[in-house]
Amino acid sequence: MSDESNPHEFGEADFRSTVHSFEFWFEAVEGYLHGRPYGVSAATKEAELTERQRQALITTLCNYCVGETAALDASSGMIGFAPDRHAKIFLATQVVDEGRHLEVLLHRMAQLGVAAPEAEIEKRANRSLLKFKDRLLEFVDARDWEASIFAQNVILECLEFTVFRHHAGTADPVTAEMLRGIVSDERRHMGFGENDLGRRLIAAPHTHDRLYKIKRELDTLVLDTFSEALGELGVPHAERPDLEGDYLAAVARLGFRS
Amino acid sequence: MADFLANYSIQKWLESCPQGYLEDTVFGHGPDEREPDDLLKNESYREQQIRTTVQLIAGERCALAASSGLVNAAPDQASKTFLATQTLDEGRHVEIFTQRLYDLGIKPDDLESTIKTYINPHLGKFAEVLLEKVDKKDFVAGVVGQNIVLEGMAFSVFEMLHTGALETNPKFAHTLSGTIADERRHVGFGENRIGELIRRYPERKADVQRMQRDMTKHMLATFHEAFSRSPAVADTVAPSGRKSNATYQGLKLAEASNEEMESALSATVLGEFKTRLGRIGLEYQSPV
Amino acid sequence: MNDPLETARRAPERRPRQSFELEETGFNEVPKRFRKFYRRWRGPKDKLAPNEALCPVCKVVIRSTKELRAGDRVYCMPCMSRLELVEENGVLLAKVIY
Repeated sequence: MSDESNPHEFGEADFRSTVHSFEFWFEAVEGYLHGRPYGVSAATKEAELTERQRQALITTLCNYCVGETAALDASSGMIGFAPDRHAKIFLATQVVDEGRHLEVLLHRMAQLGVAAPEAEIEKRANRSLLKFKDRLLEFVDARDWEASIFAQNVILECLEFTVFRHHAGTADPVTAEMLRGIVSDERRHMGFGENDLGRRLIAAPHTHDRLYKIKRELDTLVLDTFSEALGELGVPHAERPDLEGDYLAAVARLGFRS
Repeated sequence: MADFLANYSIQKWLESCPQGYLEDTVFGHGPDEREPDDLLKNESYREQQIRTTVQLIAGERCALAASSGLVNAAPDQASKTFLATQTLDEGRHVEIFTQRLYDLGIKPDDLESTIKTYINPHLGKFAEVLLEKVDKKDFVAGVVGQNIVLEGMAFSVFEMLHTGALETNPKFAHTLSGTIADERRHVGFGENRIGELIRRYPERKADVQRMQRDMTKHMLATFHEAFSRSPAVADTVAPSGRKSNATYQGLKLAEASNEEMESALSATVLGEFKTRLGRIGLEYQSPV
Repeated sequence: MNDPLETARRAPERRPRQSFELEETGFNEVPKRFRKFYRRWRGPKDKLAPNEALCPVCKVVIRSTKELRAGDRVYCMPCMSRLELVEENGVLLAKVIY
């Protein structure tokens, strides 16, 4: 390594041990979370929301909570059967990211006047997303690494990445700043999943057919959730972000046809 | 309970840990701190430090598996978020102690074989008792085993090692001080959260106490084996004439025999167990 | 005899690579010492410089101290991907190497 601060000059092993470490996580989140309690800086002011906007935002946040709880339960459960130490430590950082997401979302709901978030989540949660969560946790309970990493770090993270990024562009300033912080975390999770699975598929191509079946099963749930989430945000069909583009591009890179 | 759990939020954790006592550290110590030269040049002393560090890694791997496994079993959101921070704390501990093995000259390719060579077999049994409860998603037993028994043991061991390293190995002492600060939160959460659950589910007491007894038995066997394998004062005091004045529980570490050290550590940990278990409404069960 | 098409195609390779002095871009998602090697993407209308490539995984612009060419390997730290630059239809694209 000739220049330690030039990432492009790293050897592959050095690169991987650098990015899959607590040290990397710690210095990375420091950049965008320092001085932002609950993901939002003090200078960001609340915009006035109409009652309809407030209700729509609460419903959306309830669904984000379902997704983040699924990710928290799954990523923590996966540590027990992660294939190596670097994956375990990376997942430990992901666990705290997911826990933080849940915490900031619940904090935002409290700011919007929700007194009993659990009850609201129960009432407003998207059924397809709940089904997706159950299926993901079944893979985790079965200690199935490939299926778990595929469902969580490729499919779920890709869904969240696209929706949050789009929502951050249209949301009120407080919600937008909070979501931008979450998106910065999702980049790591999504990249970890795609790269881990990509390497695994090269080493064990027979895994491909099994994962393809899982993808087909989960596609409907993901696309239904996506469509419903954007409907809640009031995004007209013509202006909807290209989840299919992001999601299908990710799975295409892994060699899955649509 | 809601107010108490608010103290264990991720926001609080971010402010106190990564943005607090870990700020400006690298693998838990100052960027310029190194293992002392006399340690690296003295083969038997270096081997003792490797042996000690392997036990720390094994303990932390167990804690990582247990705390992550308990997230899914936690009955409420606030406990889940606290356990998320604990999971990362434990992951960090695995990382910094692994890094210490590298600093002591172990090559990354030899990591697992080194751990296999030096691990204390009783520590493995200690971990098995705990992880069996975690696998069954038994939150109450899991938190007592992890946050009271395992963390209580780690807390005392780290303090003893920290006392011994303070004068002779500031880098290792610095690394340990961060882990001790983390353990404070973990034992605090264990006591406060489980105290409330034990009051609510008194029928769980007998089973949890049995687990504590089994874990204690393996812990004492771990200590016994560790001290019987060590040359006197090897783990805490540097060789080459630099005599430490450090004292632990009234013992002058540079002069204490292994039996005295084992006895002081065991008495401290068991005393802590009794006090903590008593506070949450459990009765300490002696393994003998 | 020189084939003018071949000469034209090989010409860029013979030209020495441009060097770039990287400055901070406000990107804050990786440790400080690596931040100048990345910037936020401003959407499809964002024109990339000769030392830049778009990460297809996380949509962050990767920057290098030298002009990038097909065959170069770069790393996207925000999403932890290893990428190789390939030329497709005259456009330089970053592809993930697992």
